Amino acid sequence: MRRYLLRRLPSALLVLLAASFLAFALLRLVPGDPAAVLAGPDASPATEAAIRERLGLDDPLPAQYLRWIGGLLTGDLGPSYAIGGQTADLIADGLGATVELTLGALLFVVALGAAFGILGATSRNRWTLGTVRVLTTGALAVPPFVTGVLLVLVFAVLLGVLPPGGRVPLLTAPDLGVQYLLLPALCLALPSAAVLGRYLKDGIERTLAEDHIRTATAAGIAPRRLLWRHALPNALPPVVTLLGMQTGHLLGGAVLVEAIFAWPGLGQLAEQALVRRDYPVVQDLLLLLVTVFVLVQLLTDLVHARLDPRIRWE
Amino acid sequence: MTTLAAAKPAPARKPRHPYRAALATARGRTGLALVGLVVLAGLLAPLLAGHGPTDQSALALAGPGTPGHPLGTDDLGRDLLARLLHGIRADLGIIAVAVPLGAAVGCLLALAAAAHPVADTVVQRAFDLILAFPGLILALAVTAVLGPGRLPVILVIALAEVPAFGRLLRTGILVQSGREYVTAARVGGTSGGRILTRHILPNAADPLVVQIAVSLTVAVFLEGAMSFLGVGVRPPEPTLGAVLSQSMPYLAQAPHFAAGPLVTVTTLVLGLSLTAEALNREIRR
Repeated sequence: MRRYLLRRLPSALLVLLAASFLAFALLRLVPGDPAAVLAGPDASPATEAAIRERLGLDDPLPAQYLRWIGGLLTGDLGPSYAIGGQTADLIADGLGATVELTLGALLFVVALGAAFGILGATSRNRWTLGTVRVLTTGALAVPPFVTGVLLVLVFAVLLGVLPPGGRVPLLTAPDLGVQYLLLPALCLALPSAAVLGRYLKDGIERTLAEDHIRTATAAGIAPRRLLWRHALPNALPPVVTLLGMQTGHLLGGAVLVEAIFAWPGLGQLAEQALVRRDYPVVQDLLLLLVTVFVLVQLLTDLVHARLDPRIRWE
Repeated sequence: MTTLAAAKPAPARKPRHPYRAALATARGRTGLALVGLVVLAGLLAPLLAGHGPTDQSALALAGPGTPGHPLGTDDLGRDLLARLLHGIRADLGIIAVAVPLGAAVGCLLALAAAAHPVADTVVQRAFDLILAFPGLILALAVTAVLGPGRLPVILVIALAEVPAFGRLLRTGILVQSGREYVTAARVGGTSGGRILTRHILPNAADPLVVQIAVSLTVAVFLEGAMSFLGVGVRPPEPTLGAVLSQSMPYLAQAPHFAAGPLVTVTTLVLGLSLTAEALNREIRR
């Protein structure tokens, strides 16, 4: 296992390094003087000079890069010029909201994915099968901004049972927080749940066709026990890997879902920073999001290697 | 003549090309019909609309069925039908450039990767790097440099498609070049270039055709998502995503504002998915 990690780690680090170069290059590629852009049109030359000093824009590029990475590693991100407050605080707040949304969505993915997969593989009812098929096809095909608008129309406008957007932190007011979390989490979860459901359905169907299941059936084991004790555990490993990959997708999708439901997470922060041209914040966020994404992928590979020894020795 | 024709043994029915067979299934036909409907609406936009997409009338946020405005007007008094039709047109224009562009670049990179091991490593790492940025984060990054507009949208869609096509073709080439018929051709003295163009590429192309249909769906998704994030095509030009995202603040008072783009996007992506699925099933057989 450790050897697998050692082999897998360099490529992950390489991707991170390249991503950091890209994110760093962004601020320098933007036309015009970054300090003037950040300070805004009405700023005095003194403010501009202060920003230039703080960002070290007159230093050679390698020094600027190292200073930025050093700041990231020590948690010193400096103030946000356009949004106000400390960048680290802004990112911490956004991260909390995004993590809450992603975890909520993950619960939906697991619950709905399991329901789609198990029902799709074992139900003999035409209507149940048809419903599962339409739901998974729809959830996969229709983009989240369409499902998002539909969810708001149905649950917030027509039925009026859930708020159309915004967030109340789950930890401060659980009952209210859940109401705000439900729609965005569901919207974010649907495509991944459909993918998971399809994989699980295929996996269960394949396992149910195997010899050991036939033996168990011949031995008189009840179908229900057959499913839960014999078929499901064998169908699970690839699904777990898929779940990891989907977690990465959820993080990416969260950016959009946050915009639809006015959920104040990292995506909204990135959008805000972009609109106000707060490039240092954009730069920090890009690297942070890619880092999380790469870490999730690495973790997924490790879990996969743990579940399937063949991967480790490939 | 007739007797001669009758005397001949009936020729074995030539098997239909799998793509045509796929598109002749119920699934394929429904998919094509849905896509065709939307594409037609987009192509005929100037004829069907009756108003310009940015013309304003005195009616602000009028409901559907207002005289001259079958879908109503938006918050600025612009005809929603005209905005929808021209939005489809704009989307189609973006997608028709972006997806082939991404596919072409991806395939070229895959060919380079197949040609030389060093190129292979470089190309693979490049794909890894693109895939390390979740699609929408890539969108934000590109827009940060270029500013919002049509070009960044095309670029983001194309960039997102590059690794998809590149990886598929690279895998296809690797799989096919290990097959015995390729070895046979090589032993028979066929040149490397001819083996590639006549034998390997035609056999590796099937997944790419399916991927085109999938990529078109992804392109619709990315365009809409970028509009929602405020980094899409700049207003007042309508796109499907832009019209839908502009309707968000008015959902409670004027749900009809969202109806047109909702139905259109759903029709389009469902049609594309059905087509992709039909192709995929037929090819896998």
